[in-house]
Amino acid sequence: MINLLARALMMSTPLLYGSIAEVFAERSGMMVTAIEGIFLMGAWGGFVGAYLSGSLFIGILVAILAGLVTAAVYGVICIHFGQHQVVTGAAINILVLGLCSFLYRVIFGVPITPLTVEPLKTIPIPLLSQIPLVGRVLFNQNILTYIMYLIVPIAYFILYKTSIGLTIRSTGENPEAVDVAGLSVQGIRFAMVLISGVMGGVAGAFYSIGYLGMFTTNMIGGRGWIAFAICFLGNWSPKGALFGTLVFGLTEALAIYMQSSGTGGIFPNELFIALPYILAIVLTITRKSFNVPAKLGVAYRKEN
Amino acid sequence: MKKFKMDVKMRDLLLTNAIAVVLGLVVSGVMILILGKSPIEAFGNFFSSLVRDQYTFADIFVKATPLIFTALAFAFTFKANLFNIGAQGQFYIGAVIAASVSLLLGEKIPGILALLIVLILTIIGGGIWGAFIGFVKAKYKANEFLVSMMSTYVALNIMNYLLRTFLMETKGEYPQTNPLLKEVWLPKLIDGTRLHLGFILAVLTAIGIWILLYKTTLGYRIRVVGLNDNAAHMSGINSNKIYVIAFFISGALAAMAGFTEVNGVQHMLVQGFNPNIGSAGLGIAILANANPIGIIFASILFGALNVGGTIMGELSGIPSSIIELMQGFVMIFVILSYFVRGRMEIGREKKKIQLQGKENKLQKAVEQ
Repeated sequence: MINLLARALMMSTPLLYGSIAEVFAERSGMMVTAIEGIFLMGAWGGFVGAYLSGSLFIGILVAILAGLVTAAVYGVICIHFGQHQVVTGAAINILVLGLCSFLYRVIFGVPITPLTVEPLKTIPIPLLSQIPLVGRVLFNQNILTYIMYLIVPIAYFILYKTSIGLTIRSTGENPEAVDVAGLSVQGIRFAMVLISGVMGGVAGAFYSIGYLGMFTTNMIGGRGWIAFAICFLGNWSPKGALFGTLVFGLTEALAIYMQSSGTGGIFPNELFIALPYILAIVLTITRKSFNVPAKLGVAYRKEN
Repeated sequence: MKKFKMDVKMRDLLLTNAIAVVLGLVVSGVMILILGKSPIEAFGNFFSSLVRDQYTFADIFVKATPLIFTALAFAFTFKANLFNIGAQGQFYIGAVIAASVSLLLGEKIPGILALLIVLILTIIGGGIWGAFIGFVKAKYKANEFLVSMMSTYVALNIMNYLLRTFLMETKGEYPQTNPLLKEVWLPKLIDGTRLHLGFILAVLTAIGIWILLYKTTLGYRIRVVGLNDNAAHMSGINSNKIYVIAFFISGALAAMAGFTEVNGVQHMLVQGFNPNIGSAGLGIAILANANPIGIIFASILFGALNVGGTIMGELSGIPSSIIELMQGFVMIFVILSYFVRGRMEIGREKKKIQLQGKENKLQKAVEQ
């Protein structure tokens, strides 16, 4: 039970990075549909950086850089060239798929055994981790999960309590007003896309060097889209994103638990693997009263 | 005058797309250079291999066949301003139905009739799988983008489950079905190649979809919903009904790709085959500006990238991921070419206005 909850929290971590990134970008009017590709690029960058340097920290830095570059390409095409966000995202996702496996081959050739790195270690926090149940679940995690604890309050504070947050939200609701106020709509949106590149890169690295310690091109397998869905389902708020990621993290941990313990009984493994996606569909259908940013997905062009 | 303008647009489209494709290949060539191979030799192999024999050349059209269907699937809903990015899943559902019905009917019914039943059931099954997305959009206002994306992963797991249990080969070794009987194979068009009737079916379907979209009332309604949902509502078009119909047709189209692949090429169902066919279809639809006739040619182009890329990999020792790389770069440049075309259009409009201004001035001068 404790293991399951701890696992759930761990699986939630990358989803939270991804969905908070998506919340910021979408509040400014940008659907980052390249999120799946950004995750994959991050996973690739994290592994390559860590393997070549021997340092997981450098791995994460490379992951951030890889996510940043991917997001920048997406941002330039969608914001500066005003192209369609869904279509551009789809193109980037294909490109990244090819790029990752191509560059992996360029760097490592065809290794006989799969290359691995030692994944991030859990860091038990002294005293706190001694608390029964809660301590072992919350305070016996790796560094990325600890950072996650800080992200939600920080994101909430920035989005709702600062003028920066107000500007971001206005950019998604009423870009003309932001423009009139003398701020650059395109600049703000580009900045948000870059932030989602950074956070998506870290999220991707979590999958490669956070717990598996290896890289394959199918390791993200739709998790970027899950983060994307969580942002929608959480009504574009950090609190909603937190709730959504915990639900999905728990589902995923449950699926892994059922598969490894064989306690699924009459239910096939595939059902558990598909569970997060089925859940996402059910929630998308049943969820009422969406608070969609008014100009989500609409390119902004300055009137002359 | 109007006809002339259309021609200019068409010329822009062809020209910018051609440049985009070339640029995509050039950048891929740079990637080959990074690998330490010669891109000139690689592309030399690429082009010479395509025409080296009948088999390889025909394979371009074999590869293009399912792409025509998945591209049509995306383009069709796109015309109604809906996003079906679940073509991959609908393709798998179609493949599962085609394989299981073929295995079931293979011995009992004469070949042609069996094929027809397989096709019809595939269309119905894929259509219902797709229509579900349109239904929840109409009834619960569920975001079709999310539902269609997630439905792909559900379909994939349904396929994996069936291949592990009911549909698994009798040997029980690999997650794949028994081979289909020869009677339910799609007939070959040319002996000594893999080219099958499915390609003709795909081309006819594309033409049919073009007629449906531009020459029928239903197509008109679909396009009106796509252009302006409110206006459609005002003029008495039930957009909820359109959502369901559009997604039914879209799902059926993607499922037909499953039929042609299973009955025409693989002759069995193999786990996780053609994993990028949905996203490649999306790319093709964009390349063709969602025009069903354009999709035929764009699919042949992607088919050529696929065949040439594979052989180039074998001959020059380049990993097969070069195919996705080429497709990805081509797509990016094609998207950018939309921007360039927009600029060209604005430039022309400006010129026209300037000319008109001059003419007006002249006229005034003459009048005075």
